[in-house]
Amino acid sequence: MEKFRTTVKRRIAISSGMTFIAMVLGGINIYSIIITDHSSATHSDGFVAGFQFGLIVSIFGLAVFDIIKLSLAINDETKLRILYNKEHDERLIAIRNKAGAPMIVITSIMMIIAAIIAGYFNIVVFYTLIVAVAAQLLVSAMVKLYCMKTM
Amino acid sequence: MKTRIKDLRKERKLSQEELALAVGTTRQTITSIEVGKYTASLVLAYKIAHYFGLTIEEVFDFSEENEF
Repeated sequence: MEKFRTTVKRRIAISSGMTFIAMVLGGINIYSIIITDHSSATHSDGFVAGFQFGLIVSIFGLAVFDIIKLSLAINDETKLRILYNKEHDERLIAIRNKAGAPMIVITSIMMIIAAIIAGYFNIVVFYTLIVAVAAQLLVSAMVKLYCMKTM
Repeated sequence: MKTRIKDLRKERKLSQEELALAVGTTRQTITSIEVGKYTASLVLAYKIAHYFGLTIEEVFDFSEENEF
């Protein structure tokens, strides 16, 4: 369990780093929105900027949630054991595998990064990639839900 | 697959949560095994049987598994 405690501590540090990065990126994003010449900006420019800001806020929120959850677990032996069991539970691992983890998560992250970059050049590619990510995450969630009910 | 886990728990006044914690799994997995939705792996079956001080055959009913 000590090894897992070290892993949890490392995860808290990573989440803290992500919180800091999200804050910096959020600040840059707000600044760029303020200094943008709104008279020449198109609707698509606003949408891409809004999406990026939403994504940064989501990452910040998830990182903070993770920090709180892990900090509570690290100080309580039972909660730490429950967290460990949940992560190493064979049924949950089987369900996650059936739902496409970890490849769905990896490809989704890569597609979101690609969408953000593509958004600066072609808005149609941006929309296509975002819809594709949403669709694959939806299918994965539905499969997971189905397996949770049947397994 | 039928199991005696529920009866063994009741005998020992043990909750699903307590059993799950002891054998390194989740309460939901214990529920699924008890109702027959999920078949435990050999390792988990051994841990559960060992926890109750019994053999795997005494906890899990394999008779239906041999039917074609």
